[in-house]
Amino acid sequence: MNALSFKKVGKIYRRSHLGKTTETVGLVDFELDVPQGQVFGLLGLNGSGKTTAIKLLMGLHLPTTGDIEVLGRRVPDVEVLARIGYAPEAAYLNKLLTGRETLRLFAALSRIPAAEREARVEKILADVGLGHALDKRLGEYSKGMLQRASLAQALIHDPELVILDEPVTGLDPLAIKEVRALILWLKAKGKTVLFSSHDISEVERVCDRIGILSGGRLALVMTQNEWRGKADALESAFAATVKRTDGVGEIRLD
Amino acid sequence: MGTIKAVFDYTFREHVRHKVWLSAALFGLIMIAGALVTSALAQDERARMLLDLGLAANEAIALVSIVFLTVHLILQEIESRAVFLILTHPVRRADYLLGRFFGTLAAVGLVMAVTGLAHWGLLKAAGLLEGGSYLLAWACSFGKVAIMGALSLLLSLALTSEAAAMAFATFLWVLGHFTAEIRFLADKSASPAMRAFLMVAARAAPDFAHLNYRDAWHAGFPSASWIGAAALYCVAYSAACLALAVQAFDQKEF
Repeated sequence: MNALSFKKVGKIYRRSHLGKTTETVGLVDFELDVPQGQVFGLLGLNGSGKTTAIKLLMGLHLPTTGDIEVLGRRVPDVEVLARIGYAPEAAYLNKLLTGRETLRLFAALSRIPAAEREARVEKILADVGLGHALDKRLGEYSKGMLQRASLAQALIHDPELVILDEPVTGLDPLAIKEVRALILWLKAKGKTVLFSSHDISEVERVCDRIGILSGGRLALVMTQNEWRGKADALESAFAATVKRTDGVGEIRLD
Repeated sequence: MGTIKAVFDYTFREHVRHKVWLSAALFGLIMIAGALVTSALAQDERARMLLDLGLAANEAIALVSIVFLTVHLILQEIESRAVFLILTHPVRRADYLLGRFFGTLAAVGLVMAVTGLAHWGLLKAAGLLEGGSYLLAWACSFGKVAIMGALSLLLSLALTSEAAAMAFATFLWVLGHFTAEIRFLADKSASPAMRAFLMVAARAAPDFAHLNYRDAWHAGFPSASWIGAAALYCVAYSAACLALAVQAFDQKEF
Protein backbone atom coordinates (compact mmCIF):
# COMPACT_ATOMS: atom_id res chain seq x y z
CA MET A 1 0.00 0.00 0.00
CA ASN A 2 1.13 3.56 -0.60
CA ALA A 3 1.71 5.67 2.48
CA LEU A 4 0.74 8.71 0.48
CA SER A 5 -0.56 9.42 -2.96
CA PHE A 6 -1.06 12.63 -4.92
CA LYS A 7 -3.32 12.28 -7.99
CA LYS A 8 -3.21 15.22 -10.43
CA VAL A 9 -3.13 17.70 -7.58
CA GLY A 10 -3.20 21.39 -8.32
CA LYS A 11 -3.13 24.26 -5.87
CA ILE A 12 -3.72 27.87 -6.79
CA TYR A 13 -3.58 30.63 -4.19
CA ARG A 14 -6.06 33.42 -4.86
CA ARG A 15 -5.84 36.75 -3.12
CA SER A 16 -8.40 39.50 -3.59
CA HIS A 17 -7.65 43.09 -2.75
CA LEU A 18 -9.72 46.11 -3.72
CA GLY A 19 -11.55 44.16 -6.41
CA LYS A 20 -8.38 42.78 -7.97
CA THR A 21 -7.61 39.06 -7.72
CA THR A 22 -4.09 37.72 -8.05
CA GLU A 23 -3.34 34.05 -8.53
CA THR A 24 -0.17 32.25 -7.54
CA VAL A 25 0.50 28.71 -8.61
CA GLY A 26 1.46 26.40 -5.76
CA LEU A 27 1.32 23.02 -7.49
CA VAL A 28 0.43 21.90 -11.03
CA ASP A 29 -0.60 18.36 -11.99
CA PHE A 30 1.35 16.95 -9.07
CA GLU A 31 1.45 13.16 -9.10
CA LEU A 32 3.41 11.17 -6.54
CA ASP A 33 3.14 7.80 -4.81
CA VAL A 34 5.32 6.94 -1.85
CA PRO A 35 5.18 3.29 -0.73
CA GLN A 36 5.14 2.44 2.96
CA GLY A 37 8.54 2.11 4.56
CA GLN A 38 10.28 4.38 2.06
CA VAL A 39 12.28 7.54 2.75
CA PHE A 40 11.38 10.12 0.12
CA GLY A 41 13.08 13.49 -0.25
CA LEU A 42 11.50 16.53 -1.87
CA LEU A 43 14.03 18.90 -3.37
CA GLY A 44 13.41 22.27 -4.92
CA LEU A 45 14.19 25.94 -4.84
CA ASN A 46 12.32 28.35 -2.56
CA GLY A 47 8.77 28.71 -3.83
CA SER A 48 8.87 25.49 -5.85
CA GLY A 49 5.95 23.94 -3.95
CA LYS A 50 7.59 21.69 -1.35
CA THR A 51 5.84 23.20 1.66
CA THR A 52 2.58 23.45 -0.31
CA ALA A 53 2.71 19.71 -0.96
CA ILE A 54 3.33 19.02 2.71
CA LYS A 55 0.57 21.38 3.89
CA LEU A 56 -1.86 19.68 1.51
CA LEU A 57 -0.97 16.34 3.08
CA MET A 58 -1.59 17.72 6.56
CA GLY A 59 -4.92 19.33 5.71
CA LEU A 60 -3.63 22.84 6.37
CA HIS A 61 -4.40 23.67 2.73
CA LEU A 62 -7.13 22.32 0.47
CA PRO A 63 -6.30 21.24 -3.09
CA THR A 64 -7.81 23.24 -5.94
CA THR A 65 -7.89 20.11 -8.10
CA GLY A 66 -7.05 16.44 -7.69
CA ASP A 67 -7.09 13.98 -4.80
CA ILE A 68 -4.70 13.17 -2.02
CA GLU A 69 -4.65 9.96 -0.01
CA VAL A 70 -2.66 9.35 3.13
CA LEU A 71 -2.48 5.87 4.66
CA GLY A 72 -5.50 4.81 2.65
CA ARG A 73 -7.70 7.77 3.60
CA ARG A 74 -8.67 10.74 1.49
CA VAL A 75 -7.47 13.99 3.04
CA PRO A 76 -8.41 16.24 4.68
CA ASP A 77 -9.20 13.66 7.33
CA VAL A 78 -8.86 14.32 11.06
CA GLU A 79 -8.58 10.66 12.06
CA VAL A 80 -5.57 9.86 9.86
CA LEU A 81 -3.61 12.66 11.58
CA ALA A 82 -3.28 10.33 14.59
CA ARG A 83 -0.99 8.17 12.45
CA ILE A 84 1.15 11.01 11.09
CA GLY A 85 3.91 12.94 12.79
CA TYR A 86 4.72 16.37 11.40
CA ALA A 87 7.55 18.75 12.22
CA PRO A 88 7.52 22.09 10.36
CA GLU A 89 10.64 23.99 9.32
CA ALA A 90 10.59 26.08 12.47
CA ALA A 91 9.44 25.13 15.97
CA TYR A 92 6.07 26.87 16.19
CA LEU A 93 5.58 26.21 19.88
CA ASN A 94 4.07 28.29 22.66
CA LYS A 95 7.01 29.75 24.61
CA LEU A 96 4.97 30.17 27.81
CA LEU A 97 4.72 26.41 28.35
CA THR A 98 7.43 24.10 29.68
CA GLY A 99 8.77 21.19 27.64
CA ARG A 100 6.76 18.77 29.76
CA GLU A 101 3.52 20.76 29.44
CA THR A 102 3.98 21.10 25.69
CA LEU A 103 4.44 17.40 25.17
CA ARG A 104 1.59 16.62 27.55
CA LEU A 105 -0.64 18.78 25.37
CA PHE A 106 0.42 17.01 22.19
CA ALA A 107 0.15 13.62 23.85
CA ALA A 108 -3.44 14.45 24.79
CA LEU A 109 -4.19 15.78 21.29
CA SER A 110 -2.68 12.58 19.83
CA ARG A 111 -5.16 10.57 21.95
CA ILE A 112 -2.50 8.79 24.00
CA PRO A 113 -4.37 7.32 27.01
CA ALA A 114 -4.02 9.44 30.15
CA ALA A 115 -2.40 6.59 32.10
CA GLU A 116 0.47 6.37 29.61
CA ARG A 117 0.99 10.04 28.91
CA GLU A 118 3.44 11.07 31.59
CA ALA A 119 5.76 8.13 30.97
CA ARG A 120 5.73 8.75 27.21
CA VAL A 121 6.37 12.46 27.64
CA GLU A 122 9.39 11.85 29.85
CA LYS A 123 10.74 9.15 27.55
CA ILE A 124 10.41 11.10 24.31
CA LEU A 125 11.97 14.22 25.80
CA ALA A 126 14.84 12.12 27.14
CA ASP A 127 15.19 10.42 23.73
CA VAL A 128 15.60 13.77 21.96
CA GLY A 129 18.13 14.93 24.56
CA LEU A 130 15.85 17.26 26.52
CA GLY A 131 15.56 15.19 29.69
CA HIS A 132 17.34 17.90 31.67
CA ALA A 133 15.04 20.67 30.42
CA LEU A 134 11.63 19.07 31.02
CA ASP A 135 10.39 21.77 33.36
CA LYS A 136 11.98 24.80 31.72
CA ARG A 137 9.77 27.11 29.70
CA LEU A 138 10.27 26.93 25.96
CA GLY A 139 11.09 30.62 26.01
CA GLU A 140 14.39 29.62 27.67
CA TYR A 141 15.23 26.97 25.09
CA SER A 142 17.87 27.50 22.42
CA LYS A 143 16.97 27.12 18.75
CA GLY A 144 18.39 23.60 18.70
CA MET A 145 16.40 22.64 21.77
CA LEU A 146 13.20 24.00 20.22
CA GLN A 147 13.83 21.94 17.09
CA ARG A 148 14.20 18.86 19.28
CA ALA A 149 10.97 19.67 21.12
CA SER A 150 9.30 20.02 17.72
CA LEU A 151 10.62 16.59 16.71
CA ALA A 152 9.45 15.15 20.02
CA GLN A 153 5.83 16.25 19.42
CA ALA A 154 6.03 14.70 15.95
CA LEU A 155 7.13 11.33 17.35
CA ILE A 156 5.44 10.98 20.73
CA HIS A 157 2.52 9.00 19.34
CA ASP A 158 4.72 6.58 17.33
CA PRO A 159 3.32 7.57 13.94
CA GLU A 160 3.47 5.38 10.82
CA LEU A 161 4.29 8.32 8.56
CA VAL A 162 6.70 11.07 9.55
CA ILE A 163 6.76 14.32 7.60
CA LEU A 164 9.63 16.74 8.15
CA ASP A 165 9.70 20.14 6.48
CA GLU A 166 13.32 21.19 6.02
CA PRO A 167 14.55 19.40 9.14
CA VAL A 168 18.22 20.41 8.81
CA THR A 169 17.84 24.09 7.91
CA GLY A 170 19.75 26.26 10.35
CA LEU A 171 21.22 23.35 12.33
CA ASP A 172 24.87 22.87 13.24
CA PRO A 173 26.78 19.88 11.76
CA LEU A 174 26.35 17.80 14.92
CA ALA A 175 22.60 18.38 14.94
CA ILE A 176 22.42 17.57 11.22
CA LYS A 177 24.16 14.27 11.90
CA GLU A 178 21.64 13.50 14.63
CA VAL A 179 18.69 14.27 12.35
CA ARG A 180 20.21 11.98 9.71
CA ALA A 181 20.55 9.22 12.31
CA LEU A 182 16.94 9.79 13.34
CA ILE A 183 15.66 9.42 9.77
CA LEU A 184 17.65 6.20 9.28
CA TRP A 185 16.38 4.90 12.63
CA LEU A 186 12.77 5.63 11.60
CA LYS A 187 13.37 3.79 8.35
CA ALA A 188 14.81 0.79 10.21
CA LYS A 189 11.59 0.71 12.28
CA GLY A 190 9.54 0.48 9.09
CA LYS A 191 8.23 4.05 9.16
CA THR A 192 7.66 6.06 6.02
CA VAL A 193 9.48 9.37 5.98
CA LEU A 194 8.83 12.30 3.69
CA PHE A 195 11.03 15.31 4.07
CA SER A 196 11.77 18.42 2.12
CA SER A 197 15.19 19.98 1.90
CA HIS A 198 17.53 22.31 0.10
CA ASP A 199 20.49 20.20 1.21
CA ILE A 200 21.34 17.78 -1.60
CA SER A 201 24.16 16.11 0.33
CA GLU A 202 21.81 15.19 3.17
CA VAL A 203 19.07 14.00 0.87
CA GLU A 204 21.32 11.68 -1.11
CA ARG A 205 22.64 10.06 2.08
CA VAL A 206 19.31 8.96 3.52
CA CYS A 207 16.68 8.80 0.78
CA ASP A 208 15.47 5.81 -1.21
CA ARG A 209 13.94 8.14 -3.79
CA ILE A 210 13.87 11.85 -4.38
CA GLY A 211 11.58 14.16 -6.28
CA ILE A 212 12.67 17.50 -7.70
CA LEU A 213 10.05 20.22 -7.81
CA SER A 214 10.25 23.14 -10.16
CA GLY A 215 7.57 25.78 -10.64
CA GLY A 216 4.99 23.68 -8.79
CA ARG A 217 5.58 20.60 -10.95
CA LEU A 218 7.26 17.35 -10.02
CA ALA A 219 9.89 17.64 -12.71
CA LEU A 220 12.00 14.58 -11.95
CA VAL A 221 11.94 11.51 -9.70
CA MET A 222 15.13 9.57 -9.13
CA THR A 223 15.86 6.33 -7.34
CA GLN A 224 18.89 5.68 -5.19
CA ASN A 225 20.79 3.66 -7.77
CA GLU A 226 20.69 6.67 -10.12
CA TRP A 227 22.94 8.72 -7.81
CA ARG A 228 24.70 6.31 -5.41
CA GLY A 229 28.33 5.94 -6.29
CA LYS A 230 28.13 8.63 -8.98
CA ALA A 231 29.76 11.82 -7.82
CA ASP A 232 27.57 14.93 -8.16
CA ALA A 233 24.90 13.00 -10.07
CA LEU A 234 22.08 14.36 -7.94
CA GLU A 235 23.43 17.90 -7.94
CA SER A 236 23.80 17.87 -11.73
CA ALA A 237 20.29 16.51 -12.17
CA PHE A 238 18.97 19.16 -9.79
CA ALA A 239 20.73 22.02 -11.59
CA ALA A 240 19.53 20.75 -14.98
CA THR A 241 15.94 20.40 -13.80
CA VAL A 242 15.09 23.49 -11.77
CA LYS A 243 14.29 26.89 -13.18
CA ARG A 244 14.69 30.04 -11.14
CA THR A 245 11.42 31.87 -10.69
CA ASP A 246 12.59 34.43 -8.12
CA GLY A 247 13.95 36.91 -10.67
CA VAL A 248 17.56 36.37 -9.55
CA GLY A 249 20.17 35.73 -12.24
CA GLU A 250 23.26 33.54 -12.15
CA ILE A 251 26.54 34.69 -10.63
CA ARG A 252 28.94 35.57 -13.46
CA LEU A 253 32.50 34.36 -13.09
CA ASP A 254 34.32 36.13 -15.96
CA MET B 1 -14.26 16.20 24.99
CA GLY B 2 -10.70 15.15 25.81
CA THR B 3 -9.38 17.40 23.07
CA ILE B 4 -11.45 20.38 24.20
CA LYS B 5 -10.21 19.86 27.76
CA ALA B 6 -6.57 19.63 26.65
CA VAL B 7 -6.86 22.87 24.64
CA PHE B 8 -8.82 24.49 27.50
CA ASP B 9 -6.05 23.62 29.98
CA TYR B 10 -3.34 24.91 27.65
CA THR B 11 -5.22 28.15 26.98
CA PHE B 12 -6.01 28.79 30.63
CA ARG B 13 -2.39 28.17 31.60
CA GLU B 14 -1.20 30.50 28.82
CA HIS B 15 -3.43 33.35 29.99
CA VAL B 16 -2.59 32.82 33.67
CA ARG B 17 1.13 33.08 32.80
CA HIS B 18 0.64 36.11 30.60
CA LYS B 19 1.04 39.37 32.48
CA VAL B 20 -2.13 40.88 30.97
CA TRP B 21 -4.47 39.34 33.50
CA LEU B 22 -2.32 40.38 36.47
CA SER B 23 -2.51 44.02 35.49
CA ALA B 24 -6.24 43.64 34.86
CA ALA B 25 -6.75 42.28 38.39
CA LEU B 26 -4.63 45.07 39.85
CA PHE B 27 -6.53 47.66 37.83
CA GLY B 28 -9.76 46.18 39.10
CA LEU B 29 -8.68 46.48 42.69
CA ILE B 30 -7.63 50.09 42.14
CA MET B 31 -10.98 50.90 40.53
CA ILE B 32 -12.89 49.36 43.40
CA ALA B 33 -10.79 51.38 45.89
CA GLY B 34 -11.59 54.47 43.83
CA ALA B 35 -15.26 53.59 44.01
CA LEU B 36 -14.96 53.47 47.80
CA VAL B 37 -13.38 56.94 47.95
CA THR B 38 -15.97 58.43 45.57
CA SER B 39 -18.86 56.90 47.40
CA ALA B 40 -17.69 58.47 50.68
CA LEU B 41 -18.42 61.90 49.17
CA ALA B 42 -22.13 61.18 48.51
CA GLN B 43 -23.58 60.31 51.89
CA ASP B 44 -27.16 59.52 50.85
CA GLU B 45 -26.49 57.35 47.84
CA ARG B 46 -23.33 55.77 49.21
CA ALA B 47 -24.53 52.20 49.08
CA ARG B 48 -25.96 52.46 45.58
CA MET B 49 -22.90 54.30 44.25
CA LEU B 50 -20.47 51.77 45.71
CA LEU B 51 -22.45 48.86 44.30
CA ASP B 52 -22.91 50.35 40.83
CA LEU B 53 -19.37 51.64 40.44
CA GLY B 54 -17.84 48.37 41.62
CA LEU B 55 -20.00 46.19 39.40
CA ALA B 56 -19.45 48.52 36.44
CA ALA B 57 -15.70 48.53 37.02
CA ASN B 58 -15.59 44.74 37.21
CA GLU B 59 -17.64 44.46 34.05
CA ALA B 60 -15.59 47.07 32.18
CA ILE B 61 -12.27 45.39 33.01
CA ALA B 62 -13.63 42.01 32.04
CA LEU B 63 -15.04 43.41 28.80
CA VAL B 64 -11.72 44.96 27.78
CA SER B 65 -9.93 41.73 28.69
CA ILE B 66 -12.29 39.39 26.87
CA VAL B 67 -12.48 41.50 23.71
CA PHE B 68 -8.71 41.94 23.57
CA LEU B 69 -7.93 38.30 24.36
CA THR B 70 -10.50 36.68 22.07
CA VAL B 71 -9.73 38.96 19.11
CA HIS B 72 -6.07 37.98 19.40
CA LEU B 73 -6.78 34.40 20.39
CA ILE B 74 -6.76 32.69 17.03
CA LEU B 75 -5.21 35.40 14.88
CA GLN B 76 -2.07 35.43 17.01
CA GLU B 77 -1.69 31.66 16.80
CA ILE B 78 -2.14 31.88 13.04
CA GLU B 79 0.47 34.62 12.82
CA SER B 80 2.96 32.76 15.02
CA ARG B 81 1.99 29.52 13.19
CA ALA B 82 1.57 27.72 16.51
CA VAL B 83 -1.80 26.64 15.11
CA PHE B 84 0.06 24.41 12.57
CA LEU B 85 1.19 21.96 15.21
CA ILE B 86 -2.21 21.83 16.89
CA LEU B 87 -4.20 21.22 13.71
CA THR B 88 -1.74 18.62 12.38
CA HIS B 89 -2.82 16.39 15.27
CA PRO B 90 -6.22 14.64 15.26
CA VAL B 91 -8.06 17.73 16.49
CA ARG B 92 -11.33 18.89 15.03
CA ARG B 93 -11.21 22.59 14.34
CA ALA B 94 -14.42 23.09 16.30
CA ASP B 95 -12.87 21.41 19.36
CA TYR B 96 -9.78 23.62 19.10
CA LEU B 97 -11.87 26.78 18.83
CA LEU B 98 -14.15 25.83 21.72
CA GLY B 99 -11.21 24.84 23.92
CA ARG B 100 -9.49 28.16 23.22
CA PHE B 101 -12.69 30.14 23.85
CA PHE B 102 -13.64 28.43 27.11
CA GLY B 103 -10.06 28.58 28.38
CA THR B 104 -10.04 32.33 27.76
CA LEU B 105 -13.47 32.81 29.31
CA ALA B 106 -12.35 30.87 32.38
CA ALA B 107 -9.23 33.04 32.73
CA VAL B 108 -11.28 36.25 32.47
CA GLY B 109 -13.85 34.73 34.83
CA LEU B 110 -11.05 34.18 37.32
CA VAL B 111 -10.15 37.89 37.15
CA MET B 112 -13.82 38.81 37.58
CA ALA B 113 -14.06 36.47 40.57
CA VAL B 114 -11.02 38.05 42.24
CA THR B 115 -12.21 41.62 41.73
CA GLY B 116 -15.81 40.63 42.51
CA LEU B 117 -14.78 39.01 45.77
CA ALA B 118 -12.84 42.14 46.74
CA HIS B 119 -15.83 44.31 45.91
CA TRP B 120 -18.26 42.06 47.79
CA GLY B 121 -15.88 42.08 50.79
CA LEU B 122 -15.83 45.90 50.78
CA LEU B 123 -19.63 46.11 50.64
CA LYS B 124 -20.02 43.51 53.38
CA ALA B 125 -17.46 45.20 55.63
CA ALA B 126 -19.19 48.56 55.18
CA GLY B 127 -22.61 47.00 55.94
CA LEU B 128 -23.89 48.14 52.55
CA LEU B 129 -24.96 44.83 51.07
CA GLU B 130 -28.73 45.12 51.16
CA GLY B 131 -31.51 44.40 48.77
CA GLY B 132 -30.52 42.14 45.93
CA SER B 133 -28.19 39.24 45.22
CA TYR B 134 -24.56 40.13 44.53
CA LEU B 135 -23.97 36.68 43.06
CA LEU B 136 -26.79 37.17 40.55
CA ALA B 137 -25.48 40.61 39.62
CA TRP B 138 -22.02 39.12 39.13
CA ALA B 139 -23.46 36.25 37.07
CA CYS B 140 -25.30 38.68 34.79
CA SER B 141 -22.07 40.60 34.22
CA PHE B 142 -20.28 37.35 33.47
CA GLY B 143 -23.04 36.43 31.03
CA LYS B 144 -22.52 39.72 29.17
CA VAL B 145 -18.78 39.06 29.09
CA ALA B 146 -19.37 35.55 27.70
CA ILE B 147 -21.58 36.95 24.94
CA MET B 148 -19.00 39.59 24.04
CA GLY B 149 -16.25 36.98 24.03
CA ALA B 150 -18.12 34.78 21.57
CA LEU B 151 -19.00 37.79 19.43
CA SER B 152 -15.41 39.09 19.41
CA LEU B 153 -14.13 35.65 18.40
CA LEU B 154 -16.57 35.56 15.48
CA LEU B 155 -15.62 39.08 14.42
CA SER B 156 -11.89 38.28 14.55
CA LEU B 157 -12.36 35.32 12.21
CA ALA B 158 -14.81 37.09 9.91
CA LEU B 159 -12.86 40.33 9.60
CA THR B 160 -9.21 39.14 9.97
CA SER B 161 -8.18 42.63 11.14
CA GLU B 162 -7.70 42.84 14.88
CA ALA B 163 -8.35 46.58 15.02
CA ALA B 164 -11.59 46.30 13.02
CA ALA B 165 -12.76 43.36 15.15
CA MET B 166 -12.15 45.27 18.40
CA ALA B 167 -13.85 48.39 17.03
CA PHE B 168 -16.92 46.45 15.90
CA ALA B 169 -17.06 44.55 19.18
CA THR B 170 -17.04 47.80 21.14
CA PHE B 171 -19.73 49.25 18.85
CA LEU B 172 -21.94 46.19 19.34
CA TRP B 173 -21.39 46.35 23.10
CA VAL B 174 -22.74 49.91 23.12
CA LEU B 175 -25.58 49.01 20.72
CA GLY B 176 -26.52 46.08 22.96
CA HIS B 177 -27.51 48.50 25.72
CA PHE B 178 -29.92 50.35 23.42
CA THR B 179 -31.83 47.58 21.64
CA ALA B 180 -35.16 48.72 23.11
CA GLU B 181 -34.51 52.22 21.78
CA ILE B 182 -33.52 50.84 18.37
CA ARG B 183 -36.79 48.86 18.17
CA PHE B 184 -38.69 52.00 19.17
CA LEU B 185 -36.96 53.93 16.36
CA ALA B 186 -37.77 51.14 13.91
CA ASP B 187 -41.46 51.28 14.86
CA LYS B 188 -41.48 55.04 14.36
CA SER B 189 -39.57 54.97 11.11
CA ALA B 190 -41.48 55.95 7.95
CA SER B 191 -38.98 54.34 5.59
CA PRO B 192 -39.41 50.54 5.12
CA ALA B 193 -35.72 50.18 4.31
CA MET B 194 -34.70 52.04 7.46
CA ARG B 195 -37.22 50.03 9.51
CA ALA B 196 -35.81 46.75 8.16
CA PHE B 197 -32.24 47.90 8.79
CA LEU B 198 -33.00 48.91 12.36
CA MET B 199 -34.86 45.67 13.09
CA VAL B 200 -31.91 43.65 11.79
CA ALA B 201 -29.55 45.74 13.92
CA ALA B 202 -31.75 45.21 16.98
CA ARG B 203 -31.80 41.44 16.42
CA ALA B 204 -28.14 41.04 15.47
CA ALA B 205 -26.73 43.08 18.34
CA PRO B 206 -26.78 41.38 21.73
CA ASP B 207 -29.70 42.54 23.87
CA PHE B 208 -28.21 43.22 27.27
CA ALA B 209 -31.61 44.13 28.72
CA HIS B 210 -32.02 40.39 29.31
CA LEU B 211 -29.05 40.52 31.69
CA ASN B 212 -29.69 43.90 33.34
CA TYR B 213 -30.21 42.88 36.94
CA ARG B 214 -28.35 45.88 38.36
CA ASP B 215 -31.16 48.34 37.54
CA ALA B 216 -33.68 46.07 39.29
CA TRP B 217 -31.49 45.53 42.38
CA HIS B 218 -33.98 46.98 44.82
CA ALA B 219 -37.06 45.49 43.14
CA GLY B 220 -36.51 42.22 44.96
CA PHE B 221 -35.09 38.89 43.82
CA PRO B 222 -36.20 38.17 40.24
CA SER B 223 -38.41 35.22 39.35
CA ALA B 224 -37.02 31.86 38.28
CA SER B 225 -38.42 32.46 34.79
CA TRP B 226 -36.49 35.74 34.48
CA ILE B 227 -33.29 34.03 35.57
CA GLY B 228 -33.97 31.11 33.23
CA ALA B 229 -34.64 33.43 30.29
CA ALA B 230 -31.45 35.39 30.99
CA ALA B 231 -29.37 32.21 31.16
CA LEU B 232 -31.00 30.81 28.01
CA TYR B 233 -30.44 34.03 26.07
CA CYS B 234 -26.79 34.15 27.11
CA VAL B 235 -26.20 30.51 26.11
CA ALA B 236 -28.16 30.78 22.86
CA TYR B 237 -26.52 33.99 21.64
CA SER B 238 -23.03 32.78 22.56
CA ALA B 239 -23.67 29.39 20.95
CA ALA B 240 -24.86 31.06 17.73
CA CYS B 241 -21.72 33.20 17.59
CA LEU B 242 -19.50 30.20 18.27
CA ALA B 243 -21.25 28.12 15.61
CA LEU B 244 -20.64 30.86 13.04
CA ALA B 245 -17.06 31.22 14.24
CA VAL B 246 -16.52 27.47 13.70
CA GLN B 247 -17.87 27.82 10.14
CA ALA B 248 -15.49 30.70 9.44
CA PHE B 249 -12.53 28.85 10.97
CA ASP B 250 -13.27 25.68 9.00
CA GLN B 251 -12.73 27.58 5.74
CA LYS B 252 -9.33 28.94 6.73
CA GLU B 253 -6.09 27.75 5.19
CA PHE B 254 -2.77 28.24 6.93
